Amino acid sequence: MTELLEKISSCVEYGKVDINSPYPPAMKGQEGAFELTRQALDAGINPGEILEEALIPAMSRVGQKFSRNEIFVPQMLMAAKAMNSSMIHIRPYYLSGQTKRRGTFIIGTVTGDLHDIGKNLVAMMIEGAGWEVLDLGVDVSTEKYILAAEENPGAVIGLSALLTTTMENMRKTVAILKEKFPETKILVGGAPVTAEFCERIKADFYSPDPQGAVDYLKTIA
Amino acid sequence: MGYEPGTAPEPVTLLIGEISEELMTIGESRAEYRIFDGISLDTARKTIGIGGIVFNVRPIIFRQLKDADAVALFICTAGPLIGEMSRKCMQEGDLLKGYVYDVIGSEIVENAADRMQEDIRETALSAGKKITNRFSPGYCGWDVAEQHTLFTFFRNNFCGITLTESALMNPVKSVSGIIGIGAGVRFAPYQCNMCDDKNCIYRNRKTKV
Ligand code: B12
Repeated sequence: MTELLEKISSCVEYGKVDINSPYPPAMKGQEGAFELTRQALDAGINPGEILEEALIPAMSRVGQKFSRNEIFVPQMLMAAKAMNSSMIHIRPYYLSGQTKRRGTFIIGTVTGDLHDIGKNLVAMMIEGAGWEVLDLGVDVSTEKYILAAEENPGAVIGLSALLTTTMENMRKTVAILKEKFPETKILVGGAPVTAEFCERIKADFYSPDPQGAVDYLKTIA
Repeated sequence: MGYEPGTAPEPVTLLIGEISEELMTIGESRAEYRIFDGISLDTARKTIGIGGIVFNVRPIIFRQLKDADAVALFICTAGPLIGEMSRKCMQEGDLLKGYVYDVIGSEIVENAADRMQEDIRETALSAGKKITNRFSPGYCGWDVAEQHTLFTFFRNNFCGITLTESALMNPVKSVSGIIGIGAGVRFAPYQCNMCDDKNCIYRNRKTKV
């Protein structure tokens, strides 16, 4: 049992999607996250256990290695892809309510900003940490955030901005969200954003990378 | 992307090869520049004036431009296609490919800017002058919003770049800026020494891919 979970975990960590994926070379020809997750479920392993014991720890290792500059964005994306192939089998259990997520995370790039790679990475890693992620896309108006927050009570919100000009829009959106939903936790990030700016605009948390956001979410859910 | 030479995982190097080849044949990048003589430099305010229009370039960039007697303003783009291809891949779930498109798009616009800079350098040289490095609004303390001023010099630009209210250029893979020209200006071979952004991924990029 645990051996299978360990295998799934390392497939996700190293981006081994399925039997056909040539990467990593050492795992060529072997079954990947896709097949092994199916096998685990067929063997009666609980989907929640696969998530908690294999997928989430794998993504957490990936996030930590990224924070330490031991791996770079491409490997993080490959891991996310392997995770997604595993999730194909697990997702139905979410829908049936048999497996629960840690919470809902709403993310978007603020008004006037079209950058999405950084935001996508954060979304992926938070999903990999067991959260349901609602990605509102880029150039997201304050109204859209408000609507999403109303539809998902208790959700945490993440805002991304990559230009100093759009950081001003971030400030405005955070102010309005905090006024309407004082209890809602708001995370901010993006290249020019700093912890000091986060404090100034009264957001709850800033992280320079996805793992910091994941670690923070652990402390609140 | 951050990798030391030769250490990038195989799918990444393969994709880079594949996409570079594909994009080579498309060749959508464009650059446009205008050279202005008779500029006015205000040492106290650290500003540069061109025919009554003033750029507040701030001390770091001003120091590099202070000996110039002319400047080139430029805009440059990799074109809209690359961003669209990146987005399409991402939406279809091929995140890695989408990312490689994105990174190559940045590389293409930087290369186009390099070629344009070379062109300006040769023009300057034929007049017995030298050029500075290129500087962009949003770097080294120069407010990114000053792109609005810069774009007044490029109404109806043939690059097809538009500027949003928030000073974002569309297509995203675009750069804008200024280059100083003069007999007394210097080109800094290692530009990072004059900037203090420790988080910039371009820092030390010569040794990484
Ligand atoms: C590559 C690059 C370019 C490329 C490509 C641009 C693109 N967006 O595709 C090119 C060369 C075209 C370019 C152009 C320009 N750029 Co540029 N660029 C960069 C650079 C080096 C990397 C950006 C990137 O892709 N990073 C990779 C992604 C994955 O990182 P990320 O988006 O930051 O996301 C990470 C974190 O921030 C975090 N994160 C992101 N969102 C969130 C959200 C939450 C909630 C959390 C917790 C975390 C989080 O997690 C992500 C993963 O680690 C940055 C500097 C830097 N080191 O970041 C400058 C940078 C973004 N650029 C900058 C500027 C100014 C420009 C220009 C305006 C310059 C000019 N005048 O020409 C233009 C604008 C282009 C436009 N369309 O308007 C500035 C922006 C700040 C500012 N002053 O406004 C930066 C920050 C550089 C600087 N001066 O410090 N750029």
